[in-house]
Amino acid sequence: MKPTVNVLYLPGTNCQDETLRAFRDVGAEPRLRFVADVLDGSERLDDADILCVPGGFSFGDHLGGGSVASLLLKTRLADQFNACLTRPLLGICNGFQIALRAGCFGEGVALKVNAAGTFRNEPHARHVVEPGNESPWLTGLSGQTLAFPFAHGEGRFSHLPEATEGWQAALRYADGSELDGSQGGIAGITSADGLAFGLMNHPERAMNDEIRLAFFENGVRAAA
Amino acid sequence: MIHKFSVRTAGAAEPDVERAGRDLGLPDLEIWHDYYIQFATEPGAEGIAAVCDALHGPLGKVTVADVALAEGEVQVAYRRGVVDNESDSLVAMCAALGLDAVAGKMATSYKSSSPKLAEIIRATRFNQTIEELHETEPRYETLMPSGHYEPARYYDLTKLSDDELAELGKAEGRNLSLAQMRHIRGIQEQLGAESVTDVLFEALDARWSDHCAHTTWKSLGSLLGRLVAASKDTQNPNILSMFHDNAGVWDFYDDHAIAVKAETHNGPSAISAYFGQLTKLGGVLRDILGTGLVADPIGSFEYTALGVPETPAPIAGRPAPKQIASDTIRAIKEYGNTFGVPMTYSHMTFHPAYRAKPFALGGSIGIMPTSAAQPGQPQPGDLVVLIGGLTGNEGMHGASASSAGSTMDVTSVQIGAPLEQVKFRKALVDLRDAGCLRALTDVGGAGLNSAVGEIGDPGGVWINTALVPLKTSALPMWRILLSESQERMLLAIPPAQYAEASRILKRHQVRTTAIGRFTDTGRYTVFHQPALAEADVLERAEPGEFGELGFDVPYELLDFDIPRVETGPVPAISTPAPSWPSMAVDEIGKLLEQVVADAEVASQHYADSQYDSTVQGNTFYGPQYGDQHRVSTGYWAGTPVDGSRAAAVLSTAFNPWLFDVHPVDALRQMFVDVVAGQVLAGVALNDICLTDNFYTPHLAENWQEWLVGMVDELAALVRHFGVPVISGKDSSAGSTATDEGVVSVPPAVFLTALGKAPDAAGLTPEQWTGAGSVLALIGPRTPSPVATVAGRLLGISEGPLDAVDLSTVDAYLAALASSRGSFRSATRIGPGGVAAGLVKGALASGLGVELNPEAAQAELLFAEHRAGALVELDEAALAALPEALNSVVLGRLVDETGVRVAGTELLTPAVADRWSGSFTARIS
Repeated sequence: MKPTVNVLYLPGTNCQDETLRAFRDVGAEPRLRFVADVLDGSERLDDADILCVPGGFSFGDHLGGGSVASLLLKTRLADQFNACLTRPLLGICNGFQIALRAGCFGEGVALKVNAAGTFRNEPHARHVVEPGNESPWLTGLSGQTLAFPFAHGEGRFSHLPEATEGWQAALRYADGSELDGSQGGIAGITSADGLAFGLMNHPERAMNDEIRLAFFENGVRAAA
Repeated sequence: MIHKFSVRTAGAAEPDVERAGRDLGLPDLEIWHDYYIQFATEPGAEGIAAVCDALHGPLGKVTVADVALAEGEVQVAYRRGVVDNESDSLVAMCAALGLDAVAGKMATSYKSSSPKLAEIIRATRFNQTIEELHETEPRYETLMPSGHYEPARYYDLTKLSDDELAELGKAEGRNLSLAQMRHIRGIQEQLGAESVTDVLFEALDARWSDHCAHTTWKSLGSLLGRLVAASKDTQNPNILSMFHDNAGVWDFYDDHAIAVKAETHNGPSAISAYFGQLTKLGGVLRDILGTGLVADPIGSFEYTALGVPETPAPIAGRPAPKQIASDTIRAIKEYGNTFGVPMTYSHMTFHPAYRAKPFALGGSIGIMPTSAAQPGQPQPGDLVVLIGGLTGNEGMHGASASSAGSTMDVTSVQIGAPLEQVKFRKALVDLRDAGCLRALTDVGGAGLNSAVGEIGDPGGVWINTALVPLKTSALPMWRILLSESQERMLLAIPPAQYAEASRILKRHQVRTTAIGRFTDTGRYTVFHQPALAEADVLERAEPGEFGELGFDVPYELLDFDIPRVETGPVPAISTPAPSWPSMAVDEIGKLLEQVVADAEVASQHYADSQYDSTVQGNTFYGPQYGDQHRVSTGYWAGTPVDGSRAAAVLSTAFNPWLFDVHPVDALRQMFVDVVAGQVLAGVALNDICLTDNFYTPHLAENWQEWLVGMVDELAALVRHFGVPVISGKDSSAGSTATDEGVVSVPPAVFLTALGKAPDAAGLTPEQWTGAGSVLALIGPRTPSPVATVAGRLLGISEGPLDAVDLSTVDAYLAALASSRGSFRSATRIGPGGVAAGLVKGALASGLGVELNPEAAQAELLFAEHRAGALVELDEAALAALPEALNSVVLGRLVDETGVRVAGTELLTPAVADRWSGSFTARIS
């Protein structure tokens, strides 16, 4: 039986196709979950092995990246969302912002406006997988450098000095690839238990299949 | 009750605020986002605290409630009823918190100790066309949009004199001629009606505008027909749809087709560059969605020509070129990135002829199943369904005013809201795949009038404007019909499919309203009947009592014959051909430093690095390349079909300085440039199609002759090469009355080429591969310094353009196609000529080139050979090159980066710095 993946589709989501493709290509069974259907009760968020929140500009990012969507997850959809936290969860770009604001990585962490003050696009940003992070999403990738697209405006990872409990570094920018000014060069984090993985950049867009699918393969294997 | 919530970053300013403070000379600048929310029931202290908590986010924000604007603070907000895109999100946020909000509004407040704060903000951060500036707290009775209904006005035209008819035709901002008003009088007589309404005037003003009816092109002798005939003559089997839909459609691989379209928003961009540029991209993306039975956009492109950044606007109160430049980048970034379509090409040109009205071109390509390539045809009884954004008092007379080149007013500007369009983009694909759509079109220029009027022609259609969801509480019927509010689509849905369509649209959270029915009456009918509810429209095909009737007219009466305008031959220009000066190597080096700083050559990475080029995961190549520095590619390639390596290849050609000199000869050079570029990339000649975007000055001398000459030349080139034009737009309002007199753009046409290749892996790379390779120049030569970057810098402005012999080009293209596989890399010769190509090649790859000593000539290095290329190959391949490639060896690649000739380094640190920094320095 193929592991199932719910890919959350919000008003303004725009990276769902490449995300669905990546999960399909590693043998999972992904399906879009429209937030409207979840809110009206006709579908559920927590009836899959993995929850993925893809990239885009949910609700236009009008009140801050991921703000309105994360509020929905924390309020009207709290029960279902909390159930998803017991399984692998992937948040990419806007999905990372949503997951972070929804509390997946504890308190005292934030994704702020890039240091350049604007959106930056770099198709070949290089990321080093953090040694020592044993998240199932990173299995076998420790210390590897992976190049995939950087495309965001609010991805400067910041944390309060005391906020070190709820998250672990998962990816750091290789020299020359850090365009958002993230604290410690952090490009992605996992939750303390490693189940939730959030990153601002887009492995699902890479043209090299090995890189494109590495994280997805791991996540699906962990859920199988 | 209305509460205000103000948010800013705590502590040190965020980088964007810090940057704004630096730019404005206000080091202590604070920027606050003010959110006004109107609640149906009082939220109480707990509710207010919850909103504050939700707005200030997880870290480092300050949020305060109900703090009024203090003395010395300045707030900028959109004008009432224009737009508040954040309103829906504020309401959604409150709903998540269990609070009952009904409307929201956003504003931006600025705080600084500087006494000049208001003056600075007014000059730099405020657009009076669409915004209002407050120095004291504004008082809002309600945030619900306000407005009022005005009944239609009735006129008995049979009792009016010609003078009165003429005056009525121009009243209220209309542009109807006396002949057109007489035609309307004829309609009244044929209908046997006692009167006609201003709704009919407005509908026909838009319908007969140049924007909608292409009157200028028709008056000059069916210019579009000439291009269509030439394209048909090519008998190219890839043509699936050409000039009879919202975009052209080109056959692709794997049972798919690609729609391509580009259009301009020149007039609105002159008034509000931000919204003009925002909606140019939104509009063309909607065109793609509305092609056939839905194409899904897979790539955007944009080009903007504007005045020299260091100069003021020639009309007081209008944005200066520098402001247009920064607003353009912000708009393209915000619409394109939000919409989720990769940017394939962007470029900004600075040319004084565009200082009054920029050339704001936006384009897109989209993928669709071949089975959906043809436009649908509504059937009698089908529902007229409006989806997307609300209709507001904006974009009024946008089509007719921009067509006439007249001064546009506040409501001529359309307001973009990309979120609305993102929502219906995938919904439309789902509707198509579920078989719910009979036909569709976008709602763009001339609003519902154009969309309903065109899609209902010739079968018949009626709509009830009272059902159109409004931003304001009410609007007069003609404004509902003409509003160019963005992000709307019009669908023809069979009643039997409406339930499924509604389900799909609802899950995508797309506003959906059935506003009428298609008929078999052959009549176009518009009325305002509040008593006719949407449920009634869904239940019955007949409208019943019209209520207030705007018009009910047979389509056959709406055609207006355009008088033919005779033109003479293309003007003869006889100036002697200038030659390149003899230059020493050090002089060449100094000239190169200036050439690479020109905006046509310099890196525009400051702008293009803000545009998402990889979303959708299908970008195979472009829009930049280079391991060391990012250099713009000569083409873009994407692989849009899942599981297939087949590539769509996109490239463009435009150079206003060439068109300044001789528009017809310039067109020929641009045509061979873009076609040769496609062949160089790896596309077969018969797999290339074009789109054209003409932009001509209607008050300049001989503009009609030049326009006709360009069209005929394009038609001849289409026939000669078998490369059809499948889509195009004409804007003939390129002259603007300004404070310094009439300013006119050059008569010109922008060409976009779309090609296809069976395997992306076979396309030609542009990055130099390694030391030891030979670098050669190939292609027919256009050696004149006229209209080149270096020629302009040397003050060479007079003289003819090089003639381009088509048989030479034929032989070259055939040889290029057969030899291309032997190139390790190849790039088109662009602005700045071979020299600019060498600099960019070295900067991109980190390699260097040792030029042969005889290469140190201005002509060889700076001439811009339009069909030429710079190719990298090995000795064996060099020896095998066909003669028709006209190759000349320039030098060899070496490991050490640089461009050296006769012991002199041309790629000095100053050259590298000026290439990378000049554009940024001029506009930021």
